[in-house]
Amino acid sequence: MATVLEKSTKERLLSVVDDLEVLSRELIEMLALSRSQKLPQPGEDTQVPRCAVILELLVQRDREFLQLMEVAQQQGKVHQEMQLLEKEVEKRDSDIQQLQKQLKEAEHILATAVYQAKEKLKSIDKARKGSISSEEIIKYAHRISASNAVCAPLNWVPGDPRRPYPTDLEMRSGMLGHMANLPTNGVNGHLPGDALAAGRLPDVLTPHYPWQSSDVSVGMLPPHHGNDFGLEPPGHNKENEDDVEAMSTDSSSSSSDSD
Amino acid sequence: MLWLSKEQARNRFQSELEFIQCLANPNYLNFLAQRGFLRERSFINYLKYLLYWKEPEYAKFLKYPHCLHMLELLQYEHFRKELVNAQCTKFIDEQQLLHWQHYSRKRTRLQQALAEQQPPQQQQAPPHANAAAK
Repeated sequence: MATVLEKSTKERLLSVVDDLEVLSRELIEMLALSRSQKLPQPGEDTQVPRCAVILELLVQRDREFLQLMEVAQQQGKVHQEMQLLEKEVEKRDSDIQQLQKQLKEAEHILATAVYQAKEKLKSIDKARKGSISSEEIIKYAHRISASNAVCAPLNWVPGDPRRPYPTDLEMRSGMLGHMANLPTNGVNGHLPGDALAAGRLPDVLTPHYPWQSSDVSVGMLPPHHGNDFGLEPPGHNKENEDDVEAMSTDSSSSSSDSD
Repeated sequence: MLWLSKEQARNRFQSELEFIQCLANPNYLNFLAQRGFLRERSFINYLKYLLYWKEPEYAKFLKYPHCLHMLELLQYEHFRKELVNAQCTKFIDEQQLLHWQHYSRKRTRLQQALAEQQPPQQQQAPPHANAAAK
């Protein structure tokens, strides 16, 4: 806070001490001189006032000195307090740093926890989206097992015509098979499949096998998709009818020859 | 050309349901391959379109779930090429049957094991299907 222009207390004290030294030396010199001279001299008149001046100056300087000493004492006290306060400040600083570290740790832990919680929520959402009622699953499981579609019947032997896929017979008696049985020139030279696609064929279905459809599927519709995959619809069904007898599902026979 | 009536859509649903399940039959696959259907671009696109049957709302109508696996395999050109081979389809057929019988055979073995553990008075004749186990 002290500006650079102000002299420090130490300097002032020292300068005052110096002054005191000088003044007292002068005084003593003068007194010594006057003593040694013993004769009143014409200049003596001037000496007395000179002594007085020096004395005054001396006294003044002494006063100044005392004042400065007091100031110095106070400054010393202030300095001590400052040191105490600095120590306190250091202590507080270290406390703050400690708290900062702990805060950072806590933040890190919380961030991890929040992240994991979010991940959990995501997976819960995902699970909920894909959830299917257990009843439906059991129904479906029953459906595919009871018909021996996924598990062979316990009394199955080679030669048993049952298979994990629809056999010739089943395929022929389905809707596709029946479509193939219709007149092959169809309407306007189109194949029966095209006619079906155009919606001009009657509904000839009476599914004999549950794999073809069911009353359950009445509400079900295929995803909306135009016939734009350049597809000739069940054109192959026509050949299906011709060669389906040649296709054998008997595991012991060799592969089918067509044509 | 879009489907305009529910009737048409229902017919289409049924025909696609039947067709996709036919794919579970390796002999039918061989049949399709030998006639070159599996090489046609439009047919390949159709097979890709049929993948919607994997969704649970549609899959629940499938009685022969093997067809879904076959459908997935059919998406690969290599598989489609191999299906022309009669030996390949025969192999597939055999493996499919063995897989089909796997669970029953496991059950029979368990029953046998149980029967052997039982005291002599309660011994039962091993199930008839044991003869089929290979």
